[in-house]
Order: sequence, then C-alpha cells, then structure tokens
Amino acid sequence: MTWILVLIIIFAYLFFILFLGSWAGRGRERSIVEYIAASRSLGFVIMYFLMGGAIFSAFAYLGGPGWAYSKGGAAFYILGYCALGLVPWWLWGPRALRAGKRFQYVTQAQLFSDRFQSKALSVIIAVVSVLAFIQYITLQMKGCAYVFEVASEGRIPFWAGALIAYLVVLIYVFYAGLRGVAWTNVFQGAFMVVTAWVLGLYLTYHLYGGPSEMFRQIAQANPTHLLVGPGTKMSFAAFASALLVSVLGFSMWPHLFMKAYTAKSERVLKQTIVLYPTFAIFLIPVLFIGFAGIMQVKPDELGAPDRILPWMFSHMQFHPIAVGLVLAAALAAAMSTQDTITHAAGSIFAQDFVEVLKKEKHSDREATLWVRISVVCFGAVSYMVAIFGGQTLVALLLGAYGSIVQLLPLAAATFFWPRATKAGAICGILAGVLYNYAILFKIIPKFWDIHAGIQGLVLNFIVLIVVSLLTRPMDRVHVRKFVTL
Amino acid sequence: MSSEHEKDGYGITLFRPGTPHNAKIRGIVFFIIFCIITVVQSCYWLFANTVRPFVLGMPFGMFFIVLFITVEFAVLVILYFLESENMEEKGDV
Repeated sequence: MTWILVLIIIFAYLFFILFLGSWAGRGRERSIVEYIAASRSLGFVIMYFLMGGAIFSAFAYLGGPGWAYSKGGAAFYILGYCALGLVPWWLWGPRALRAGKRFQYVTQAQLFSDRFQSKALSVIIAVVSVLAFIQYITLQMKGCAYVFEVASEGRIPFWAGALIAYLVVLIYVFYAGLRGVAWTNVFQGAFMVVTAWVLGLYLTYHLYGGPSEMFRQIAQANPTHLLVGPGTKMSFAAFASALLVSVLGFSMWPHLFMKAYTAKSERVLKQTIVLYPTFAIFLIPVLFIGFAGIMQVKPDELGAPDRILPWMFSHMQFHPIAVGLVLAAALAAAMSTQDTITHAAGSIFAQDFVEVLKKEKHSDREATLWVRISVVCFGAVSYMVAIFGGQTLVALLLGAYGSIVQLLPLAAATFFWPRATKAGAICGILAGVLYNYAILFKIIPKFWDIHAGIQGLVLNFIVLIVVSLLTRPMDRVHVRKFVTL
Repeated sequence: MSSEHEKDGYGITLFRPGTPHNAKIRGIVFFIIFCIITVVQSCYWLFANTVRPFVLGMPFGMFFIVLFITVEFAVLVILYFLESENMEEKGDV
C-alpha cells in the first residue's frame, strides 16, 4: 500500500503548484507584454529562479546522475557549462533589455528580424526554435512519465503519466502566462536544490561513509572512469568542444534570451548572471547520486543509465513520504523546464510566425489569445511526439536542438557589426543549420571529434561576413540604432 | 574593419558611443579573463586529469572544475561591483 501514500504526496504537490501558478496571474491586465514578459517588471529573486528552473531540468536531475553513472568524468562537463552558460549574457542581456524597452520587443526573433528587416529570418528562427523546443519538452515528458511509473509501481502507464504532469503545466501557463511560470519556478527551484543536497549527501555517507571513500572504490574498480581522454567515455576534443558549444549556445536558447525582456532593470539582470554559477554548485550532489550507484548496480541490470536516480532510492527502503518527496522533486525539475519552454514556444509561434505572416496586425487582446492557442497546440503536438515519436522525427528534432547555437552570429552582428546585411544573416544561419543536419544525417563525415555545432558556427560566421561584405550595406541610421543601445 | 568603414559608421562597434576610456579597458580585460576561464574549463584535462589527490571528498579533476567555478564566481562579483556605479536602475527609455 506504500505506493498509494507516495502518489498522494505527488498529487498534493501537483495541486499546490497548480494553485500557486494560477494565483500568480490573478488580477493582471491582458496585454501581450504582461503575458509574455510580465510587463518587464521582474525582480532579482524571481529572475534567478526563473533562469535556474530552466537548467534544473529532467536532464540535470535524471540525465546528470545517468552521465555520472555511465560516462564518469565526462559528466564534469555539465558542471563547467552550467556555471559559464550565462556569462555571455553579460554582453547580450542588457542590450536586449534596452532594445526591448525602446522598440517594444517581446521575443528574440523580433529583435533580429527588425535589425535585418527580414520576415524570412523571423520565420526561420521560429521554425528552428519550435522544433528544438519539441525535442526539449519530449525529454521532460518522458522524465515525468518515468516518475509516475516508479511511484505507482507500474500502475500508471507512460501515456497517462506524461499527460497528468503536462496538463498541470498547461493550465497555469495558459491562465497566468509568465508570472505563473516565474512563481512556480521559485518554489520548485528551492525544493529541488534542498532535495538534491539531502539525497546526494545521504546516499554517499550511508553507502560509503563519505565521498572520498566512494570515489576511492570507484577508481579502484575502474581506474579510468573518473577521467576523460583516450580509453574513457569521452575524448579530449569531444569534451572541450561540447563544453564550448554549450557555453556559447546556452544564452541563445530563445526561452532564456527572451527573459532579458522580463527583467526590471540592468542591475537585476547582472545580479542574476553573477549568482548563476551557484546552480552549478547545486548540481554537485546530483552527480554524487549517479557516482554512488556505480558500485551498487550493474548497467545490464539497470537498463538505461537515466534510471539510476529512481533506482537508487527505490532500493533504499526509504519511508514512503521520503520517496514521494524525492519523486515530487524530480517532477519539479521536469515541470519547471516544461512550463518555461511551453510558454516560450507558444509566444514564439504566435508572435514570430503567425503575426509575421499575417497582413494586418492583431490587437493586443487578439495577440494574447493567439499565444494561448499556440500554447495549447504546442502542448498537444509535443505530447503526440513523446508518445508516438518515430526515428526520423526524432532526428529532425535533434537537428533543430543542435542548431540553436547558430543564432549566436546574429546576436553578435546585431549588437556589434553594423555592416552585416540581411542576405549575410540569412545565408549564415542557413549554412550553419544545414551543416548541422548534414552531419546528423551522416551526409558529410564528422571532422575529428569536434562538436558539429562548433563546426557549423565557424562556417556560419564566415558566410555571414563574406556575404555581408559582398552585398550593399543596410540603412546606416537603422543599423546604428542597434550598436548604440 | 578598415578605417574607411569606421568613418561611415559601419565598422565594428564594441562600445556604446561616449563610453569612458577606463570602462572600455575594463570591458576588454574582463572579456579576456572569461575567455581564459572558459578555455581552462574546457581543457581541464591538460591540468587535472587525475583521480588523486582527493580534495573535499572529490577526485582532483572534479575539484579543479569546482575550483574554477568559484574563481569565475569571484570574478563576476568583482566585475559587478566595478560596474555597479553606472548601472541604470530603470533603463533609459
């Protein structure tokens, strides 16, 4: 009967989040700036958790320990990129914030397409972002479904588990917009961090008497597991380029980039960046959980490495309340990413795709309605992909996922290089994205062990510069607006 | 870019017009520091691809990465306080 108690705790948690999210949006006006950017009014604490909730995803909570368990030293890359990921935002963030206030942007593509005077660019960015988001959401849904499966000892099937968590998210995103997302992330973020530390330290001390002893035993059993390079799970070039591409690409993710429009001031934005490396420190015990599993269970017995966290505590004879809380935390990790992405995907599809292709501009009320419709449709599509997704479809989405870093040259050109032209921007991003797909579908071989994103990025920059210099410069007054922000 | 471009306003513009000289130097210095930190993090295996000694319970490689996260954090705090004086509270609309 313990599973009933576990499920009660999880459902109580879901109701609480639903209540909190919906409560946050009460009595607010229905403008598009409120729905997408919370009227550009968010303070430091909320910004911090809003950005943190995005990285504390199912990947960090389930995939992180999975990496530590199966790939060992390669998992250190997660810490490195998580800490550095937001630093490039010091360059883009404040500039995007001022641009948003001055020219009334709420999405990333609005900024780039205005700078390059191109609707095509807006559509390209919208399509790539939405495809990448579907991949991202699918991972979170699978995480949620897995949590329910473990909690109910197999009584709640995959499709139902994914659906329950997603409906909760959908309701408060639909109803309360970004404010709902922000408030739930504050609670879910704090909850996850506490649970991760308690669980990570408890497991290492309980099973091994401390981390040193744990790592000593791992090194004794498998001397190369805690290293990278030849003979391990990740080569030097793969480690270095994966970390680099993640750092460069992280702040280019549209759902993070567009949060620059939600901050109250430049000060709030920079405070968020300064304190962001703390999230990397919070991830350390999460990796400990994965390392702790190495001496406990054989990979064949476990099945997929991502199962290590649920496996660990379901074999520890914890009290059902503790199991419920840990599972709720894993759910929190997945949901706090789902809500941000769902909200961003709806906003981007409505604003950068529908709005751009329509001849007449929508009124504020209609535009908000369109975002809400897109939120629901996006949810439905990603749910279908999570349940029925085939091989080709998954490859298509993975390609988009890897293409996000290709937005970097656009940001650099917008803020620093007035000579960049519309043709250069479009050719650059197309070259980068297509190159990435070509490697993914094995049309061209992978060069060395360097991450495809870095190779595409180099090509992207070269094409952007060459084509821009070959085409006529754009209107000087217009382009200067963006470098003097 | 060529000086010809700078004259007609199309050259690479790293700073907003009117940025004081020392703020420009500071920007460049910190940019270089962060580039170095990023390179050290991504090539940590050049310096610390070993398990022993254990520091704070972590294998040396992991400790090295955590150490540089701390360094990075300290550098960010310093940069924040140096820039703190002329940060806009509300943005200049």
